[in-house]
Amino acid sequence: MTEYAPKNPGSVTKYIVVESPNITPSELAIRAYEISQGVIIKETCFGLAINGTEEEVDRLIAQLRTVDSDHIFIKDRGFLPGDPRRCRANLGGARPGFHGIEFETTVLPYISTGLEELRTRDAEGIPAPQNPLDRKKLDVYILKKLIETQEP
Amino acid sequence: MAKVFIYPTTSLILSDLVARYGHTPLSSAIAIRERIQTAGIESIPLQITPEEPKKGLRWAAVEVPSGVRGRMALYGPMIDTCDAAIIINDADLAFGCMGCARTNELVKYLIRQKNVPRLDLNYPKNEKEGIQFVAAIKRFLETLGGKK
Amino acid sequence: MTAPVRIAQLSCGPEYSGVQQEINEAAKAVNGEIFFPDIALKDIMQNFNEFGLDVRSPDLKLTIARAKALVDGRVDADAVFIATCFRCAEAAIVRNELRRYIHTSSKLPVVSYSFTERTTAGTLLTRMEALTTIARRRALLARETQQGITLGVDSGSSTTKAVVMKDNKIVGTGWQPTTEVLKSAHDVIEHAIKEAGIKRKEVEAVGTTGYGRFLVGKEINADLIQEELTVNSKGAVYLADKQHGPATVIDIGGMDNKAITVQDGIPGTFTMGGICAGASGRFLEMTAKRLGVDITELGPLAMKGFSEQVPMNSYCIVFGTQSLVNALAAGSTREDVAAAACHSVAEQVFEQQLQEIDIKEPVIMVGGTSLIEGLVHAMGGLLQTKILVPKYSQYIGAVGSSLLASGFIKDK
Repeated sequence: MTEYAPKNPGSVTKYIVVESPNITPSELAIRAYEISQGVIIKETCFGLAINGTEEEVDRLIAQLRTVDSDHIFIKDRGFLPGDPRRCRANLGGARPGFHGIEFETTVLPYISTGLEELRTRDAEGIPAPQNPLDRKKLDVYILKKLIETQEP
Repeated sequence: MAKVFIYPTTSLILSDLVARYGHTPLSSAIAIRERIQTAGIESIPLQITPEEPKKGLRWAAVEVPSGVRGRMALYGPMIDTCDAAIIINDADLAFGCMGCARTNELVKYLIRQKNVPRLDLNYPKNEKEGIQFVAAIKRFLETLGGKK
Repeated sequence: MTAPVRIAQLSCGPEYSGVQQEINEAAKAVNGEIFFPDIALKDIMQNFNEFGLDVRSPDLKLTIARAKALVDGRVDADAVFIATCFRCAEAAIVRNELRRYIHTSSKLPVVSYSFTERTTAGTLLTRMEALTTIARRRALLARETQQGITLGVDSGSSTTKAVVMKDNKIVGTGWQPTTEVLKSAHDVIEHAIKEAGIKRKEVEAVGTTGYGRFLVGKEINADLIQEELTVNSKGAVYLADKQHGPATVIDIGGMDNKAITVQDGIPGTFTMGGICAGASGRFLEMTAKRLGVDITELGPLAMKGFSEQVPMNSYCIVFGTQSLVNALAAGSTREDVAAAACHSVAEQVFEQQLQEIDIKEPVIMVGGTSLIEGLVHAMGGLLQTKILVPKYSQYIGAVGSSLLASGFIKDK
């Protein structure tokens, strides 16, 4: 059994994913470097991974969000940027979570549309999406129609 | 600020929207970070040691596979402390932390049992659904207080 | 140092059970390297749909897709390790089907395991060693005849065996219960050499196997130190003269049981169980003792009895023995009790291990327990086949070691 000593305990790491027609991950990285003030920034294929104290990271995120708010998405990460335990180069293949982000990236354009729309529209006026738990029952009139169209 | 349990717990979209609208998303990354940043015995890759499936016994019995109990050691405390939850029900492609269907069934069940404000959704499949999706989350989060 | 054997891991749950580190360590100990086949999301969906096993767990979908990438040759590997949580039905189906799929559709050696949080690197070591041996030493395992004078030692948990072979014949044997590992080894070696009528220095190459293989191997300066899965399958097909085509080798040992499918003398899939003493030779030893007969008499006794006459309520070595005692007290014959004990061991091995591999005929039983006629008969009944027990089957590990060791003669 080997003892484990964490690196940089107390710090916070976040992923910043860019899915934008206006700015590329590398352009965002350049903006981030300019205002980093000690926050570690690592470029990835879908955006950035940043690490620092919670205050530093929150400050940087607040500034980066202003760049293209509706097309920049952020989530927490457990590992430090470039941690060898999660790195594809060491594992042979992507860590499983990568495929999850890969999938959600395909949904991001719809989220961006929603965010843009809500800048000009009140959320209250927008109909609720279908609740996936509501099992729809067959409408009685549709049933009647179905029966009538049956060949005798 | 409310603590909002998100499902899938790895979701970038839910994590972002919950934080964007002023609340705290409870995600698997936070639970993993706790372990990665705590000294102890080395157990790569996630610093989940064989002790974690034993901690998971609080939420799942001993005849439940170790992978379920290990995952419950991550999610159990989050479910216990959450004030609200947003669940995407067709999250069939969330791997790793959300990679076990049996754990996912238990997590959803425990959230429903808890009786906190809850929003059930599916992933949007087009722009119209995207607008409805974001609007529903925004409205839901506004009912929890915090910033508008 | 040779390049590590690249072992593709197909799994669900080890990271969350705290056992990934153990898997990595077991692989590293035998110069293996665990990696995860890299595929894109669209391939995951396509491969999963094509495979057609519609599971719910995303990580099992990923596992299926990765297996397909390996079989299709889109990702290179030397061997495959499949691991899923013990007691998960969904994963058990995937584990079994993928093992079968990889075994029949590729040349990759594959081993599967269902872990709990208690699984350690030690438990996985023999399996990993077999896996890397098959990947690395195909040439060595292709050997079909023994040459020169070689010595093989099997340092088992219950007994220690040695054989001396000369020009493809067994010329000396030694056997005794394992007491002190090294002393037992020295004693059986001495016996085998004496019986062979040769001098120790005439031995040209030495191989060791079994639990004490490393300790004994170091002591006697062995050329080949090899786990028993590959050695026993090689020894079994050699002794049974079934070196070509398929075969299944069953070895019910003192501490664990092995079931190995073999193709042309090279192990394909195998299982190794060892948690329960009720499914081991120990249970039969205890039964013999209770019946007041020598273990060598238990088999013939069992052949005269009918196992169905004795109600056995447990496979457990403690409660199972209790059932036998109760049956004797209630008037069951010793023959029926002996038969019931044999049936109980055979049935447990059948239920817990043999269903995990595809049984291919001929079925060869080896190891000390293969001399217990009643056990072989019971196993044959369960498998509905006539089981081969070759001559010298109790020396299987020693014979396999001796045979394979002759591959090292020319190196000297």
